[in-house]
Amino acid sequence: MPKGLYIWTRDLHLYLGLFISPFALLFAVSVFFLNHGRTPVDAATARVAIHDLRVPLGIEEAQGMERVHLAAAILAQVDVTGEINFIRYVSKERRLIIPVVKPGVETVIDLSVEARTATVTRRRTTTWETLSYLHKSPGPHNAAIRGNWFWTRAWRWAADATVYLTLFLSVSGIYLWAVLRSERKAGLILLVAGIVSLGGIIYAVAA
Amino acid sequence: MPSLRSRPSLRSTITFETLNRKLHYYLGLYFLVFMWMFSFTGLLLNHPQWKFGEFWPQRKETRFEKAIEPTPAANDLDRARDLMRQLNLAGEIDWPDRQAPGRLDFRVNRPGRTNRIGVDLARRRASVQQIEINTWGVMSVLHTFSGTPANNPNAKRDWALTTVWVVAMDALAAGLLLMVLSSYYMWYRLKQEATLGGYRIDGWRPQLRLLFRRPDVAAVESRLRSRRAASRSPCS
Repeated sequence: MPKGLYIWTRDLHLYLGLFISPFALLFAVSVFFLNHGRTPVDAATARVAIHDLRVPLGIEEAQGMERVHLAAAILAQVDVTGEINFIRYVSKERRLIIPVVKPGVETVIDLSVEARTATVTRRRTTTWETLSYLHKSPGPHNAAIRGNWFWTRAWRWAADATVYLTLFLSVSGIYLWAVLRSERKAGLILLVAGIVSLGGIIYAVAA
Repeated sequence: MPSLRSRPSLRSTITFETLNRKLHYYLGLYFLVFMWMFSFTGLLLNHPQWKFGEFWPQRKETRFEKAIEPTPAANDLDRARDLMRQLNLAGEIDWPDRQAPGRLDFRVNRPGRTNRIGVDLARRRASVQQIEINTWGVMSVLHTFSGTPANNPNAKRDWALTTVWVVAMDALAAGLLLMVLSSYYMWYRLKQEATLGGYRIDGWRPQLRLLFRRPDVAAVESRLRSRRAASRSPCS
């Protein structure tokens, strides 16, 4: 057994594990809210109206990321930051509904293009909601516009890094377990039990 | 050499240390494939642009209609269950926001298969639209399959297998929490051993010091071995 490899693997397992542990804790803790929690329906909101806005030309016709970029100019005027979600255009009333999300706050900007006014509704989210938002971010929806806020892109990078490091930790963990001869049998039984459990549940749920 | 007074606490520390270490790798081994599945599907969900993971454009849709027996059930849930029995369907029931008069519309979901059911109660006919997705889709759906979306306060789990899956996800989350906490303890003990192992560490810096100057692992292990031997010997 090359001792250098063992020591390096153990150190990397330890320090990379410590590095991602806050992320692992966040992803683990938020599972309980995602599985059992409820978003409060009567959550307190704050609403303000803002007038005399400078509405960017072409915001009504633009689509996808182009519209998001134009909407960002509105966000700057109403002092809102965050990830812009799908923007809904109500053509009859010439209104744009711009939902903006960031950890801790959900905002909806209801912009009247003709009147150049916006009603900004803010809702402070609970800690559980914030954790589950981070768990689900950036997610599969609205892929064409996702990551229009710097911190969403940074979080995507962090979430990916957590996955890659978790994979490294599991592989290095297997190596560290394999060198413990006295634990091989019990470990192998648990490994097989885990595979059988997961396979069995997936078969029952999805087959 | 530890004194007689300190030996019971030393012994319990060593026992706890051993159990903690075993807990860490036994949990890790049991949940290994769970962790791989959720890691991989997490990546798929965060990167919908990855072509190989696409499942919605490749979905298969089928439709059929069937005559149904009138159901004596008193409420919509029991009525839906009876209809599912008649249509030979199983899964989690998902209700629309509102029902049209004279109709009973609902969806029956399970990872990989969605059934949209529309029942004309007067004509006693049910139309079923079945949507099947590929393996990538099944994996992605499993990542999020809880039966109760947080933004729907009225949603309730009504399929036993959804509960089984949710319990599995909860167990994985609890296992991960325990693994992280056990690793903190092992790191804390290693820090103590590193201090004993020959170099000075003070305040909040041990992690940084350890990063730049690795502990003499052989010395730490030898010290642990001799402490264990000392705790095992009947009189010393």
